Amino acid sequence: MTLPANPRDAVATGTAAPDVVAGAGAQAGAPIEQANLWRDAWRRYIQNRGAVVAGAIFVAFVAFCVIWPIITPYDIHNDPVNFSQAYEGPSLKHPLGTDKLGKDLLTKLALGGRISIAIGIGATLTILLIGVVYGSIAGFAGGRLDNIQMRLLDALYGLPYLPFAIIVLAIIGTNNLWTMVIALSIASWFTAARIVRGQIITLKENDYVRAAKAVGARWYRVLTRHLLPNTLGILIIAIFLELPGVILGEAFLSFIGLGISPPDASLGSMAQEGREVYRVHPNVIAIPSIAIAVLVLCANFIADGMRDALDPRTRETKEH
Amino acid sequence: MTAFIIRRLLWTIPVLLLVILLTFVLMRQIEGNPFRRSSRAVSPAVQQNLERKFNLDEPWYVQYALYVKGVFTFDLGPSLVTRDRTVNDIIKEHFPKSLELGLLAFVWAIALGIPMGVIAALRQNSAYDYGLMFFSNVGYAVPSFLVATLLIYYVSLKAGLLPTNGWINWKYKILPSFALGLAPMAYFARLVRGSMLETLQQDYIRTAKAKGLRWRRIVTVHALRNSLIPAVTAVAPLLGFIITGTFVIEVIFSIPGIGRYFITAVSSRDYSVVMGITVLTSFVIVIANMIVDILYGILDPRTRDART
Repeated sequence: MTLPANPRDAVATGTAAPDVVAGAGAQAGAPIEQANLWRDAWRRYIQNRGAVVAGAIFVAFVAFCVIWPIITPYDIHNDPVNFSQAYEGPSLKHPLGTDKLGKDLLTKLALGGRISIAIGIGATLTILLIGVVYGSIAGFAGGRLDNIQMRLLDALYGLPYLPFAIIVLAIIGTNNLWTMVIALSIASWFTAARIVRGQIITLKENDYVRAAKAVGARWYRVLTRHLLPNTLGILIIAIFLELPGVILGEAFLSFIGLGISPPDASLGSMAQEGREVYRVHPNVIAIPSIAIAVLVLCANFIADGMRDALDPRTRETKEH
Repeated sequence: MTAFIIRRLLWTIPVLLLVILLTFVLMRQIEGNPFRRSSRAVSPAVQQNLERKFNLDEPWYVQYALYVKGVFTFDLGPSLVTRDRTVNDIIKEHFPKSLELGLLAFVWAIALGIPMGVIAALRQNSAYDYGLMFFSNVGYAVPSFLVATLLIYYVSLKAGLLPTNGWINWKYKILPSFALGLAPMAYFARLVRGSMLETLQQDYIRTAKAKGLRWRRIVTVHALRNSLIPAVTAVAPLLGFIITGTFVIEVIFSIPGIGRYFITAVSSRDYSVVMGITVLTSFVIVIANMIVDILYGILDPRTRDART
């Protein structure tokens, strides 16, 4: 469990219906450009300079991590170890210098970024999946079941995820990408479940849901056709709200030596390697750590921008 | 009000039982046994005796019941690996250091974070505001191990001002607690700024202004007090964050706290210690949640009925 990405979440978890802007401005008469929720949201998003810059940096970093290992002249896993080139400073050949085995840090950064981002996205999607299942059952069923489920969430809410993640890793025994995803999601889905439940409860009161029920739609049709698709907006925001915590969590676990097993290395494991030599070569720990910070910072800004874009009402309190 | 507090107190009991059960079930899944380590083979008879001694031969529900009884009588049992020590001894030795580290981090966060948020809100859209919010956004994103390493590198090694690691006197405590407190500080700053801006819009602030009260008094008495209420709810998630952070910070600064001990206990499969520490940290969170809820009920009576 890490902090919610934005302090405003602590005050009010966003539960607004996303469909308030759809159809706004549609007037009788000549066909006009359809005011689509997503197009509208996109227009608002690109007006937010901070969010656009953050999005661009984020996309650029992901692209770098995906593409660079393919075009680089270095092969981190198979190149021979060369101690005479260990811990070189930045040069034309190695723009970020080299590590203890004389390997190119820039290429290593891209590979580490790949793993960190993969674990981050995997864990985030797992968290959201659990959250959607748990939250929509509670929100849709309501009544007693909802009450029990929410009591349970209250009980688990705020538990530190790290001891539980460490125990889960000890249970599974091996540390690979999937075990990291499980360890990071097992005690982090409580907020997501709450958000989904809140959203479903708000949506349930809408006239179109009542209408669907009135014409005899089965419960699963109401849920899958009318309720879940409308939670999409908030889920997309939630991806970027959860991502920073998961990336930092993975980095923490790796840093205390419980990360993915070598030879694979995430950004956190790279930082751990750098810890051994930070007195002489501070760049080895600084490079992956700064990459983590940039990812987290961008994700926070993107989440902020998306929230403002998809739910303009929250923006008003901010801009007065 | 009394009924609300009693309800809230009673509710923590099943929560604590659940947390113990959860930890207990998880711990039973870990493969291997502290007495079955290949490096130090024990004869089957001895092993049986050891398992009997620590109740490992009982069915799981009996073990659970015994454990719960132990927790509520403040006896977390013996350590399975360090034979001559109990879990209580270990917690008594290591926990206060982690507690002190966490509390000091909170002190940094509150002492610097709240004024930062207030200044940013009062000078909204000024250079102060942008500077402080930039600092807060960055402070919130940078992993604490980078902050810690940079502090050690520049403050301890380059400038030679403070010791690099250990936990002896106040000099040793400044850097670790600051590194741990930076993210909560940034969080408080953003939270207080947001809620201060919202409070300043309220009608009663306008009324106070109309009455001709001095601005300083309006800010300190009317606005600040109310905008700190949401900060109270942030304490619980921040506590979880700080507990997580102590694991990392204790490793970096070689502080003999409970987080560092936990990591060694997991690898040596010292069940009772791992459980004891997990249950203890969970208790800290659950109790803190309870206190926050009750405090919130006192500060904002509207929430009393909705929460239990």
